[in-house]
Amino acid sequence: MKIDLTLEQREAGLGWALILPCVIVILSLILYPILSNVISSFFEVSLSARDSFTGFENYRAVVTDAAFWRAVLTTLIYVTASTLGTTLMGLGTAMVMNKVFPLRGLVRSLILLPYVAPVFSVVYAWKFFFDPVNGLFMDITVERLGIFAERFNLIDSPGSALWVAVIFSVWKNFPFTYLMLLSRLQAIDKNIYEAADVDGAGAWHKFRFITLPELYFVMGSIVLLRVIWNFNKFEDIYLLTDNVRVLSIYTYFKAFVGVADLGQGSALVILQFALLVGFILYYVKKVLKW
Amino acid sequence: MNRCLSSLFVLLILLTAAGAVFVGGCDKEAADAGPVEIDFWTTQTQSDRIATYQVLVDTFGGLNPDITVNVIPVDENDLSTQMNSAAAAGTMPAVIEGFMNTAVAFGSAGFLNIPAATELINEIGADKFYAGALKLNQTAGGDAYYSIPFHGWVQGIWYRADWFEEAGLNPPETWEDILDAAEYFYDPASNQYGILVGTKAENYAEQVFTQFAMSNGAGLFDAEGNLIFNSPEMKETLEYYAELAQYNPPGPQTWRARDYYLQGKMAMFFYSTYIMDDLALAEAAAGSLTDENFADLAGSSFDPELVENTRMVPIITNTRPAGYGHINSLAFPDTGDDAKTAAARKFVQYLYSPNAYITVLHMAPGGQNPVIKEIAASPRFQADPKKIFENYGAEKMAEIINGLNSIETFSIVEGQRIEAAAVIYSKQIIPQMIYKVTQEGESVDAAMKWAEEEMRKLM
Repeated sequence: MKIDLTLEQREAGLGWALILPCVIVILSLILYPILSNVISSFFEVSLSARDSFTGFENYRAVVTDAAFWRAVLTTLIYVTASTLGTTLMGLGTAMVMNKVFPLRGLVRSLILLPYVAPVFSVVYAWKFFFDPVNGLFMDITVERLGIFAERFNLIDSPGSALWVAVIFSVWKNFPFTYLMLLSRLQAIDKNIYEAADVDGAGAWHKFRFITLPELYFVMGSIVLLRVIWNFNKFEDIYLLTDNVRVLSIYTYFKAFVGVADLGQGSALVILQFALLVGFILYYVKKVLKW
Repeated sequence: MNRCLSSLFVLLILLTAAGAVFVGGCDKEAADAGPVEIDFWTTQTQSDRIATYQVLVDTFGGLNPDITVNVIPVDENDLSTQMNSAAAAGTMPAVIEGFMNTAVAFGSAGFLNIPAATELINEIGADKFYAGALKLNQTAGGDAYYSIPFHGWVQGIWYRADWFEEAGLNPPETWEDILDAAEYFYDPASNQYGILVGTKAENYAEQVFTQFAMSNGAGLFDAEGNLIFNSPEMKETLEYYAELAQYNPPGPQTWRARDYYLQGKMAMFFYSTYIMDDLALAEAAAGSLTDENFADLAGSSFDPELVENTRMVPIITNTRPAGYGHINSLAFPDTGDDAKTAAARKFVQYLYSPNAYITVLHMAPGGQNPVIKEIAASPRFQADPKKIFENYGAEKMAEIINGLNSIETFSIVEGQRIEAAAVIYSKQIIPQMIYKVTQEGESVDAAMKWAEEEMRKLM
């Protein structure tokens, strides 16, 4: 039997055929783990016997644990400080790199290095640099310049570890912000600045009333992306120091280290996801005005 | 509407397919004869040791063309994590080489094929093993074994005998002498430190702490399995440990800081007999951080006499003498696949054949000591390629190997196996407690209370 298809139907069929591999990959690699995770969060997961349904017990156990709230607080500090730092540093660098000066092309590409370097090698370079006994940082600041009275462990000590992780994140990620903002800066019509000059506007006014509004939506999107990325950040922090228990690392220890607690681990992931989605919805409505 | 329905149909088919793929992945493979491929996880992650294992595996493959063995290095701190993930994914390896404590924890969690290990021990001959090593590995009933003891090390304080002599200090054998020496040699202004004890929340901290606790008569459980962790002896140990940790290099530290000793910046450090291998390979240490590499760095001298000037104290005493060590064992995870289990047994049998066994032990002479009596006495074993026996003398080596017979652990109390102790070990509660006290400035009482609560959660 021959089926007559209209051109439109044939095109729709081709569209499905083309999109199918992608849909399969998305469903099996993204949707399935998410669903499986939601289900596990309601069970006490046993790796060697049957799982038993426990309702909201995992969620209750998670939210009544003080360590969870400490992890939420640590995550908020980490995400806020690193996003703020990345954005400000990216903006400042983009403004400078938008000016004309000799070797600008070279400097522009060099700035990208921290972002493109593999995280593993960069982390170990940092660890070596800040090693309390053999590191160059302590040698320079204690032995040569005498800035500090004694050597200390900057990366691993609980008092400084979080801030080192923040600084590392800013240093590693500001080039991305800089790159995005620079491309937007270059697209701003020069006539607007010239008109402002004619009106007698100073540098600050030009920045405040021309540059910032022009950058607003690009910056808003970059901040959103950075929040999402840093909220879920694991590898940078875990490799650099084990003392910064942001939510992702707290979940890892809870779910996998020693005796696994995959049920509570799943509940943690769902809570983390809910927090993030809540923020995104609020942000998109209020800041990006969608 | 039509388009909506067809989209839904496609979605359903895909979800079903994804489910089928998952269920298929979880199916136990049929136990058929023919080529078998098994994974062998080892906590020996150093490249030269992996290379040696690869040679052994290739030889085994030549003798057994139907069996393919994949050697997979797994860091000892990640072993539990990896095993949990593998168990969840149904991809457990067929053989694991790792700490016996970890094997006991896996066995208690139901991950291991205990009958297979017990049968193999009986096949090799239980009387051929050092009794102490076997005892650490017995199940609660005492009639089976979680895993097969493979090799072991003894922990002790390694110290600069020349510095001690010059200072007129006693060798670090008692709590008092250790503390005195740590304080004496602690000179941070010259980038020199008194001692290295574990303060990072890792297994190393627990290994060092256990020896102190044992030497003060402090345990986790009594023979009936009651948690007696929060005792005056344990509190005293933790207080002492925190005091000692003040003379550590700055910040949380783990075994990796032993490099500072090799660089002549530390007077004492806790380490296993594995260090004999590292010390014997003086050129390796010299290649680490030396005057030549970092001429401008303060205090970075490497002493070529270091090996000669290093001594070891294996037994620490406060209210009683205590030794500590670890047995590495080979365990069979319960893959549920008979063909894999059979292949794994064949491979492990091969590893105990004299040639293969001595090759494994010679990977790190001093660190990997035999648990089989006749191998310990064999002249071939004693003629190690790195000349450790020659350097330290057969007598000292015999003392170390015999030490394996009297290793103490929190898991065995008056001959009774306490399974919960291994679970507590794997969850790193004691290291976290040490971290809280030494790094976060938490009080000893609060940290012990926290640790006790965490331990109770696991029981």
